[in-house]
Amino acid sequence: MGALLSAELLRRLEQLQLLAQRRAKSTLKGERRSRARGHSVEFADYRTYAPGDDLRYLDWNLYARLDRLFVKLYEEERELPVRIFLDASESMNFGQPPKFDFARQVAAAIGYVALCGFDRVSVVPFPDLAEIPTPTGNPTAANPGTQHPGLDSETRAQQAAARAALRSVRGKKSAVQFFEHLSLLRAAGPANLNQALRRGALEARQPGLAVVLSDLLDPGGYEAGLKALVGRGFQVDVVQILAPEELDPTTYGDLRLVDSETGAVQEVTFGRFRLKAYHNTVQQFLGRIRQFCAAHRICFFTARSDTDLEELLLKRLRAAEVWA
Amino acid sequence: MGLSLLAPEALAFAAAIPVVILFYLLKRKRQVKLVSSTLLWERFLAETQASKPFQRLRHNWLLVLQLLLVLAVVLALSRPWVPGPGKASKLRIVILDASASMQATDVKPSRFEQARAEALRLVGSLGDVDQMVVLQAGAHTEVKQSATSDKTALRRALAGCAPADAPTRLTEALKLAETLIQNRAEAEIHLFSDGAVPDLSEFENKNLPLVYHCVGRGGRNAGLVALEVRPHPDDPTQRAVFAAVANGSTNPEPVQVELLFEGRLLESRPVTLPATNTLPMVFMAPQDQDGVFTVRLRLEDDLAADNQASIVSLLPQPVKVLLVSRGNRFLEKALKAPGYVQLTVAPALADAAEGFDLVVLDDVYPAVWPAPNLLAIHLAPTNWFASVGTVTGPVIVDWKTTHSLLRFVNFDNVQIAEALKVPTPDWAVPLVESPDTPLVLAGQRQRQRIIWIGFDLLQSTWPLRLSFPIFIANAVEWLNPAASAAAGRMVRAGEPFRWVWAQPVSSAELIGPDGRARPVSCAPGSSELVIGDTARQGIYRLKAGTNEVTFCVNLLDSAESRIDPQPELPLGKYARVTATTMSRAGLELWPGIAAAALGLLLLEWWFYHRRTV
Repeated sequence: MGALLSAELLRRLEQLQLLAQRRAKSTLKGERRSRARGHSVEFADYRTYAPGDDLRYLDWNLYARLDRLFVKLYEEERELPVRIFLDASESMNFGQPPKFDFARQVAAAIGYVALCGFDRVSVVPFPDLAEIPTPTGNPTAANPGTQHPGLDSETRAQQAAARAALRSVRGKKSAVQFFEHLSLLRAAGPANLNQALRRGALEARQPGLAVVLSDLLDPGGYEAGLKALVGRGFQVDVVQILAPEELDPTTYGDLRLVDSETGAVQEVTFGRFRLKAYHNTVQQFLGRIRQFCAAHRICFFTARSDTDLEELLLKRLRAAEVWA
Repeated sequence: MGLSLLAPEALAFAAAIPVVILFYLLKRKRQVKLVSSTLLWERFLAETQASKPFQRLRHNWLLVLQLLLVLAVVLALSRPWVPGPGKASKLRIVILDASASMQATDVKPSRFEQARAEALRLVGSLGDVDQMVVLQAGAHTEVKQSATSDKTALRRALAGCAPADAPTRLTEALKLAETLIQNRAEAEIHLFSDGAVPDLSEFENKNLPLVYHCVGRGGRNAGLVALEVRPHPDDPTQRAVFAAVANGSTNPEPVQVELLFEGRLLESRPVTLPATNTLPMVFMAPQDQDGVFTVRLRLEDDLAADNQASIVSLLPQPVKVLLVSRGNRFLEKALKAPGYVQLTVAPALADAAEGFDLVVLDDVYPAVWPAPNLLAIHLAPTNWFASVGTVTGPVIVDWKTTHSLLRFVNFDNVQIAEALKVPTPDWAVPLVESPDTPLVLAGQRQRQRIIWIGFDLLQSTWPLRLSFPIFIANAVEWLNPAASAAAGRMVRAGEPFRWVWAQPVSSAELIGPDGRARPVSCAPGSSELVIGDTARQGIYRLKAGTNEVTFCVNLLDSAESRIDPQPELPLGKYARVTATTMSRAGLELWPGIAAAALGLLLLEWWFYHRRTV
């Protein structure tokens, strides 16, 4: 598992438990408290006996005292479905180290913590394979920069298998496979964050914890998708991953910038003197996201792809009570 | 205050402005860079974004700066100017003082060079319709350039000016300038001088538009202002060389005064010149041949031209005097008194007396008019006077003591019984006058020096007075052609030298102080030569065949030796012109605009650099 997370980190992650602020709504049994009444050791309430009730749950002490029949109700413990929305678009390949690597590590850590807590983990990489072009497709001859790398058929099949395997993972014993499949994922193609999140929100049978790992650099925005998740009842955590060079550009001069995903061209004259203005732009961008997330009770983190993983996982996420 | 252009054709360069704009319309080549997303870059949309070869013009500071730069350069090339504080005149007369004192080196390289530079600046500020005249005022006024607007010609004319060792004749130049500006409404006379000029009182009431540019700072100078050589009265082998050295500075000046004869050092005398004063000096020197005495000051001062002066000294020759008289012992004795006179007495004159240096006609009418210089006593019926009468007992009321003939001569106690009454002819000056008639006249008539005494000596008490032999001695000296010839061999710088050969000459050459020989043009069949090229002080030798004559050109001008610049130029008693520091009219603006263009260029470079690096 050293490929994604170190053994030491895994050992420390095992001690953590994801905190859900809402009662689990899953129909499947788990270790999370839910509003449902069922079988557990946690007493919940009494109910008047009705014929047909299991006599095992009659409170005999109460019957002796009141001469009436009551049935003891227990809290049902359900699982917490954890959906990890992993941005696997072309733009995540940028950065040193690449943003996608960092995102996978975070996904692995969150997934591992969830698996340890007997929660169901599903990883939703987006864009879909169908949206990723083939290498020969859509080349713009005039501008080599706009040509998407795409995926060949062999990789495509591998990706399909890995994605299918990550659809639903449960149990600590599945962690090894979970990590393997996660490391097989590749980032390619243009993403539509809103569409992916909305679809994810609709597809989920029960709402749970949604973790969005993305750079949020989508021309279409992120608001609609996140709103859809929140509206579906998800508890949403957003970890925005940005490359260092996105925060501090190092290329100056008369530039023709090519968007890796859309192929859009932007001509820019950039110099050191405009660095401050760029920083302001980035801060405004982040500020808008932060404001949006605060308004929708979404936990929001920004991380550079060269951030120390342990610092993020064990300190910042813990401090934000993502887990404890 | 209007802006005018000296070179409006340069505005054609404004055609560069569309070219600059075209460059901005064209697409720029850019470095292609793949980025994860252009989302964050939207604010940094380049000013010149385009996907076609031509693009819409955007607001771009770089373009604005470049347009400003082009405009500034075009404007500088078109040479705009505004009238400066001075009035823009249509005609300017530049008078460049080329006198000796302008060679002073108290300002580097010299006053003349500074004046020339200032005049050239004035040329530079000349408007395209203004005209300028360049006059060089040395010993003579030379029109170096007549009225023109051609700046090249004016600059060439100024470059051709050179200072001489001559004193200034500013009057002549101002008179010329005055005639040039007559009937010109807008005219200015710009005088570039140090103010060492003679009296200009005749311009007192002319109200000349004179702008005086004073050059020079003032320095130390000592110079020779007088030089003369005389035979020693007692020892005919000795010569007395008289020199006067003026010190213009306010400090006593130690100086070594050297006397040379034909380049040979005879005596060197250390003296200290009193401050702002003149020190007369007399050297005694033996002389065994004709030659040139040179007095030289050994010191380093700001004006070198007046540190040396030369004088030709000829060995005294016996003066052959013919006295035509019916008998006058007083006169005879007085004529014999100077030791160098060979006196011949004759009762009448029948020929032109060619062999004599001078003839004395004592109340005798000659049959043939004598050719030599003449002392005529009581000689009335000549063609010298328009009318002749007599006056009885004339009283002497005035005599000219300043004339060399009346040196040490006194008429205090002289009575005259009867004298001829004549009007003063135009060729003579009256030396002794009574209320009715001049009694003694002296002058030159057709190169013949004449002294006329209008009364019979024996009918007066003059022969009994001490002044009589002195006067006769003075007269012999004055009339002696050799003496006048020697005196004529020294001219002031800039003045013409005139020489009469014994026979007509066909060609002659002049060897100047610089040692170079120049041919001198001679009028055919004429024995007279006039040499005007005496701008340099020093010893000149004139050669014609085997004949040779030496003459000296000296400055000997106390006004020129006083080199302190005069901030005020007095025009007579009341009017004066103050040295001006007025900035020149027609201020050209192109240097400032060019500097601004340079600044814009730097700004543009900085701006571009700042954007891209």
